[in-house]
Parts: sequence; C-alpha cells; structure tokens
Amino acid sequence: MVRSGPYDLNVHCIPESGDTIEEVVAVARRLGYSGIAITNPDSMKQLPFSGNVEGFDILSGVEIRADNASKLHGIVGKYRNKVDIIAVSGGSESINRAAVENPGVDLLVNLNIAQDSGFNHVLAKEASENRVAISFDLGDLIHLKGGSRVQAVTNCRKNLLLIRKYNVPYVLTSNARSCFDMRAPRELAALAALFGMSGEEAMAGLTTIPHSIIARSRPPAGYISEGVQLVYNEADTGNIDEGDR
Amino acid sequence: MKLLPPTLRARTRYLAFEVISQDPVRREDLIRELFSSAGSLLGDVGASECAIRLLAFEGSTGVIRCAHDRTDRTRAVLASISTVKGTRVIIHVLGISGTVRGATIKYLAGVDVFNPKDSHI
Repeated sequence: MVRSGPYDLNVHCIPESGDTIEEVVAVARRLGYSGIAITNPDSMKQLPFSGNVEGFDILSGVEIRADNASKLHGIVGKYRNKVDIIAVSGGSESINRAAVENPGVDLLVNLNIAQDSGFNHVLAKEASENRVAISFDLGDLIHLKGGSRVQAVTNCRKNLLLIRKYNVPYVLTSNARSCFDMRAPRELAALAALFGMSGEEAMAGLTTIPHSIIARSRPPAGYISEGVQLVYNEADTGNIDEGDR
Repeated sequence: MKLLPPTLRARTRYLAFEVISQDPVRREDLIRELFSSAGSLLGDVGASECAIRLLAFEGSTGVIRCAHDRTDRTRAVLASISTVKGTRVIIHVLGISGTVRGATIKYLAGVDVFNPKDSHI
C-alpha cells in the first residue's frame, strides 16, 4: 500500500552513516514525508527493515556500486526479489548505460560526481523505455561549494532538458548520508527550481513518480505478471464446464 | 522621515522556520551563516534581490523576512545551510505568511523543540 504523501527514495543510515534508522525516520516524519527508502550500499550488511511504523512507510533498498557493467546485471538480479528499491550509483557512462538498460533497476543516482554527468540522449531514451528513474541528488547542491556546485547545477539543468524531451521518470532525493542531510519536500522543490524545474514537476518527482516505482515493486493483491490477469477462479465459480477446455 | 506611500513600499513575505539541530544555535551565528549561504548560492546581486532579514529567533524557531516574489529562492538559501558554527542543522520552513503576526500565530504557536537524537518512533 502506497501512501499519498512525498517519498525520499535515497536515504542512508547506519552502518553507512552514524545515524540510526530511528533518528532518520524521526526527522523524515518531522519534515513531512510519508515514507523513505533506506538505500545503503550493497557491500555493507543490510538491515532487513521494511514496513510501516505508525503511519510511516519504510522501504528496503540497496545502492549498487559496481566497477564494471557486466557485474552490475548479476548484482541487480541478486537483489531484485529481496528489496523494494534498487538504486545504481552512476559514474562512468558504461555503468550508467548498463543501469538504464536493465528494467530491474529502479533508480540511477549520483550522476553529479564527475565533471560530465555521463547521461545523454541515448541513455535518456533507454531509461524512458525501461522506466529507470533518474535521481536529482539535491544533497550535492547543499554540500558542494564553489566550482563543483556550479558543475552540479549545470549537470542537473542538462539532465532536466533530456528528461523533458524523452519523458524519462525522475525523482528528487536528498541523497542523505545522515539525518541532518535531509530536507523537507518543499525545500527540495525550491532547490530544484534553481535549475529551472517547475513546482509541478518537482512535486511529481516527490510524489507520483516515487509512488509508481513503489507500486511496481509492491504489486497489488492478486497480481500475477505483467499483462496477465485472472479471469476465472475455479475455487470461486466451482462449476466450469470441463469440456470447453 | 516621511513614510513611503503604501504602493511604493517593498512587498514582503515572512517565513516561519524551525532549526533542527543537536545543540542549540546562537542568533549571531545563524545570521552569519544565512548571509554567507545567500552570498554563495545567489551572489551579492541575487541576495540583495531576496532582501533576506532575520527578524525573531528564539529557542529553535524564528521568522525571516524576504521579498514577496523571492520566497522560493529564500527557501533554497535556507535549505543550503548545512552547518551553523560547526553544528549540523536543518532549517525547516514551517510556513509563509504576509505578516509577522500571521506567521507567528499560524505556524509557530505550539511548535516544540525537536531533537532527532532524543526522539523515538
């Protein structure tokens, strides 16, 4: 069950940062989130934590940091049925490409670390087809200073252009490494406005798009597979004519 | 000194905010951080257009004044503050109003001090 409010799908806690899941959740609730996804790196021991805490949605996730593209697909397959949100830490263009080509990936994060974001029109098309969401990591706009912040804003502006053109799903995240790195949804929207994102786009990146990502990993009751639906249930109807089959 | 006629006065908005931090922060430190953050994010020209001014700040809540068409920029400036004199903080905007009275009554009444380190879910 997806809640209607905003979600931050890229939050880290113990053991990656010094803050416990309780502290992170307390801050997220105070800031007005309906839920968060804990995406600690795959190299660390995962806390199997997923569920509802008094009206707050905590999703399990993983941030995959692969050094090469061929390894990535294996790691994605390993985690797909274990966690709700699979994020891939971007970097080189080859990693980004492998991530957007894999429909099992939910999010591509950390696009701002290099001078060039490694995201272009080819990758944007792939991401749109495979419904891999691009994450705008607004924590970079908070923590970077000087030239690197200028570069981060430039990258975000470029990515926004591609996302509008190719209708790529996107999310706004704080990419928080500690509970003090989180920001309220409206603040994230204001930061996104710095590179030209409209208020409606920002709200979609915080609510409707994360909801659709979560709904994909948490299928509704009675879901069988993409394009398959149960028409007759023998247990319910009882007397289907065997001769017709 | 003559007062400006109402049509020529600068139009303003008032942002009610709370500071979420582990240790309490001082008003002077917050002002210094506010202006350095505005300067680095928007530059001197952008900061002057925002016309940011810290009015009241007591305990963990306060009111900031800004230009009426720059509330988003001001929010971004507040969001980009990550530390105040070495203390890690979140500045959380609780609401925006056209008057100080409105901001105080609507958004600051009954706000308790929130410290993530001693709260429990």
